[in-house]
Amino acid sequence: MNLKQGNVLLAAIGSLTLVLLYLVFWVVPPAQGLGNYVRIAFFHIPLAWVSVLAFFMSAGWGAGYLRRRELRFDALSAASAKLGLIFVVLATVSGAIFSKLTWGAYWNWDPRQTTIFVLLLIYGAYLTLRAAMPEPNRRARVSAVYALFSFLTVPFLVFVIPRLFFSLHPSPVINGSGSLAMEPVMFMTLMVGLLDATLVYVWLVQKRISRENREAAA
Amino acid sequence: MQQSIWQGIKLVFRKELVAGLRFKAAWAAMLMFALTTLACVSMAMQGGMLEPRLLAALLWIILFFASLAGADRVFADEDTVGTLLALRIYGRSQAVLMGKMLYTFFLMVVLATFITPLFVLLLDVTVTVPGLLVGVLLLGCGGIAAAGTLVAALTTGANIHSSLFSILMLPVILPVFLPAISLSAASFGGGEGAISYLAGMGLYDLILVVGASLLFDYLWYED
Amino acid sequence: MVTIRFEAVTQCFHGRTIFGPLQAELASGRVVAVTGQNGSGKSTLLKLAAHLLLPTAGSVVVTADGRALKGDSLRRRMAMVTPELRFYPRLTARENMDFLLGLRGITLDEIAYRALLNRVELREQEIGTAFAGEFSTGMRQRLKLAVLLASGADIWLLDEPGANLDMAGRKLIVREARQAADEGRLVCWATNDEREEAAADAAIHLAGH
Repeated sequence: MNLKQGNVLLAAIGSLTLVLLYLVFWVVPPAQGLGNYVRIAFFHIPLAWVSVLAFFMSAGWGAGYLRRRELRFDALSAASAKLGLIFVVLATVSGAIFSKLTWGAYWNWDPRQTTIFVLLLIYGAYLTLRAAMPEPNRRARVSAVYALFSFLTVPFLVFVIPRLFFSLHPSPVINGSGSLAMEPVMFMTLMVGLLDATLVYVWLVQKRISRENREAAA
Repeated sequence: MQQSIWQGIKLVFRKELVAGLRFKAAWAAMLMFALTTLACVSMAMQGGMLEPRLLAALLWIILFFASLAGADRVFADEDTVGTLLALRIYGRSQAVLMGKMLYTFFLMVVLATFITPLFVLLLDVTVTVPGLLVGVLLLGCGGIAAAGTLVAALTTGANIHSSLFSILMLPVILPVFLPAISLSAASFGGGEGAISYLAGMGLYDLILVVGASLLFDYLWYED
Repeated sequence: MVTIRFEAVTQCFHGRTIFGPLQAELASGRVVAVTGQNGSGKSTLLKLAAHLLLPTAGSVVVTADGRALKGDSLRRRMAMVTPELRFYPRLTARENMDFLLGLRGITLDEIAYRALLNRVELREQEIGTAFAGEFSTGMRQRLKLAVLLASGADIWLLDEPGANLDMAGRKLIVREARQAADEGRLVCWATNDEREEAAADAAIHLAGH
């Protein structure tokens, strides 16, 4: 990564984070029924979003490796999965705290909780598989295949689980009819949070890759 | 061309069957493992009446873990004995994958036919909708066979392959597992089973088979 | 016309360079010996030629009549005899052959089977109904040769095929390899035996690192 680009990215992340903190703690009003706890959601939802994004990217780069057989795709896929694991753990923990504060129990196998837990299992399995394979080419191939194979569960997680389990989560922010079921201020804050988390993810992936490149060159 | 792939699948299936029948220890281990687990559960319950949902969960946990004792061997055994190289040189990817998947399915069906009647007897289960139970068992076995064969191919060569196998299997098989438990509970008289779940399981099985088939080429051919 | 071209191929295992950069071309109609001391990468070179392994750097290109062979199209045209190759221990010789050749769409009738056993000097009463797991190493080696011959493959990759064989067996292999090359097949032969090396048309010597 080019140094200048990195600085611009860092500056963007820094200012977005400041804006986000200001919005969450000073601007957003306490929500009906959830009170001040609603503020947790502005960190929880972006964390969960990046967990999912990192999984998609990991599988995508896995496919890239299988098509092109270049180890840099494998490095990207692995970096994305490692970050995804951290984000999914944070999302699970923040979600469990939110759940305890508002619904009275840390865990109740609500559909989103089930989904995020399956994601946690997939990340864990993927990284265990990588750790168990010493040879770089075979490791790259096998983990790319697993990332794509576990991707097959996505339709199930998205369409079937919500019917199997009763949900406490509010329905999606932007629902099927396209109307906004949220106050504009909250919606904007959420968007800032999502953008901020996505940029943090991009920055961390780049950092990890450039560190590995330096180590490989050394 | 189609004909020769089908021939290949038959050859692989028959080879697995013949070699499997001549090596009874593998079968015995899988069936005894299932029997032991079942006996443990049954003894622990001491004849107490269980809810259909709990019974269904127990049945699938027994089946899942017993399958791990059998399904993870399809490639690992060839790797240990050293025949994997010969198979790679002479066998086409799809024939090998499908033949082995078919054999694993057969193994799973035998296991389910062995364990389910015993389960019903020992835990005093009333099966109100037998047809539904049979359907669910078949689709569940199909899912385990489809995912298990690909995952077994992934884990060959890893030194901790059998624990790795269950770790990799669980997330992928959950979409089969959860509806299977719901539907089995329905067949034991707990709640009603939606036919759409059954269709969903069938669809997911199909997705697994197609996905495994597409991805297996990347494992079988290096170039 | 089949060629296997090694272009600047380097192979490393666990950070240790085995050989390379290697530049070589094998062509059909010739027996090429691959020589070098133990650990110099002879077996690795054969695996690279078979695309059972990807090189750390460089490329191995197999072409037949100007068309690149890879994946299934390459596998279907090659056969190997290597010490790592094992038969199914709980199948008989006949069952092993029927299975492996059947996968290539080849069926052997009784006459062809007997002729093949004769050709590799295996006595049928010796192998009879015994499982391959009970064979002596020499018998297994001859059985590998039988599968290779029956496969009709036009790329032969032989890794120390004379190992574990008696004098007659070694002569048999030299004779078969020669005949195969004369029939227009590509024969690549890893060996440490000077006489076998002398029987080849060309040699690639791996110096080792």
